[in-house]
Amino acid sequence: MFQRSGKGNYAYTSARAKAKKSRLLKEEDYSKMLMMSVPEISHYISEAGYSKEMTELGNRYTGLSLVEYATYANMAVAFRSILKASTGELRNMVEAYLSEWDFTNLEVILRGKNYGLPVEEIREDLVPAGRLDMDDLDDLVAAPGVEETLDLFASKTGVRVSDEAVAAYRNDRMLKDIEDELAKTFYRNLLLSVGTTTQANRIFRTYLERVVDAQNVETLLKLKVERIGGEEAMKYFIPGGQEVDEKTYAQIAAAADVVSAGNEMQGLKIHNEIKGALTDNASVLDVVAAIDRYNAELANSVAHMYPLSVIPVVDYMIHKRNEARNIRMIAHGVDSGLDVETMKGLLVI
Amino acid sequence: MAAHDVTPTRSVLLDLKRRIKLSQSGHRILKMKRDGLIIEFFEVMDKARKMRAGVASDFQLAMKKITIARAVDGEVAVRSAAYALKSHPEVRLSSASIMGMVVPKVEAESIHTDITSKGYGVIHTSAYTEEAAAAFEKLLETLVRAAEIETTMKKLLDEIEKTKRRVNALEFKIVPDLQESERFVKFRLEEMERENTTRLKHLKGKEEVPE
Repeated sequence: MFQRSGKGNYAYTSARAKAKKSRLLKEEDYSKMLMMSVPEISHYISEAGYSKEMTELGNRYTGLSLVEYATYANMAVAFRSILKASTGELRNMVEAYLSEWDFTNLEVILRGKNYGLPVEEIREDLVPAGRLDMDDLDDLVAAPGVEETLDLFASKTGVRVSDEAVAAYRNDRMLKDIEDELAKTFYRNLLLSVGTTTQANRIFRTYLERVVDAQNVETLLKLKVERIGGEEAMKYFIPGGQEVDEKTYAQIAAAADVVSAGNEMQGLKIHNEIKGALTDNASVLDVVAAIDRYNAELANSVAHMYPLSVIPVVDYMIHKRNEARNIRMIAHGVDSGLDVETMKGLLVI
Repeated sequence: MAAHDVTPTRSVLLDLKRRIKLSQSGHRILKMKRDGLIIEFFEVMDKARKMRAGVASDFQLAMKKITIARAVDGEVAVRSAAYALKSHPEVRLSSASIMGMVVPKVEAESIHTDITSKGYGVIHTSAYTEEAAAAFEKLLETLVRAAEIETTMKKLLDEIEKTKRRVNALEFKIVPDLQESERFVKFRLEEMERENTTRLKHLKGKEEVPE
């Protein structure tokens, strides 16, 4: 990654982030939306800050697709405005945090290319909310193949996929190794981007380490559903977590099933949040929903600690992302006839 | 064949008797086959009923999971995960025999693949998408089994109908017609016998009368 020097404009960017956060939808807005139809939801969000995107995309999409693409487009604009506003060390951290979208977009492009999708269809699904803007993403989409796309991505971001992962792709035409390596690179770069010079940065770093823990726990649960453990499970370990180090990960990975894995997690802070969902007949989705709530609470718990730091900026981005997720979830849920209680359970507030 | 169309000879009578015996034994065997098929049909129907309920519940569950996945992860993420899939289920068709009737046997391979072999990354792919994929794999497995059972049931029904028609044809048409023909031939032969006797008596009477 390309590092910028200088402390960064914390006061300006965090003030902008706080102002933007105050305009986000509240819990009562979601309660109202749960009672609406999809057109009513479209109308409601148009009046709640999404009007520009709804109008722009209105001639291409309707109904659910319009809500989905408009929420993504709005979120991308909001994130890029924060990214452009920030400078110095702060920008490095925001950029590293938002690079998740670069990796997500790269994944979408690689999958589309591997499947043989037309360029226009791949382009439709991109969300330029990271460091790479739409022009950069267009360049990636225009690259002739998967390997050329990876090379171009490396030249634009400095992130290069290992030769082993590319060789594995050449062998079976599966993107899994490349995708998993990219996911690990994202977390590694994110943790590296956060210095430990200030107390605020240390808190942010601790938050990120706990997010890495949560991600490792979620990965283990997904693997345990299929009863995958041992060496195979170790391939998906993300280093840098606060509590889930390689040894703890291996211990949990050695458990026979989801419930046993839950028992192995008893010493972890996250266990308190997910233990309610870890029953004998529990679905892993209940546990994942509990992890999502844990992540949201984690962000809320540190949000107000240092007003002039990266924390309120990231806090806004988390809430903005959750807003887009919640709107999309309600629209899909209403359209498919999901019951209100299920939808409420999936809301992340 | 009309009963009166037969040539009333002894060899025809013998042939008719043989055919009646054959038809009656065929009728008996076909009746047994029909009853056997009906018993088999009820067993298969029971399985099919359970399978249909299974298909309906698996379908509902899969649709609920995909709705949740689309809602939580977004249409884009779910669609993108689908493009990454590399495993292709294969269906192998063979046949089995129920009372001489050929029924299909459908076996599916590599429908369920674990998360590490699907083709997409494990870390980034959400549990919602993974659960939806697993639910659809289960639905596909149930559908393949249901296809086998439903086809067997349909074939059994066709076979029962065919056997029933044959049994009825033998019982109400072929055997009665043959019996009628037999009666006719017997009657004609007896009549011919009587005519012969009368003719002989006539001839004998003519010989005895002096000229």
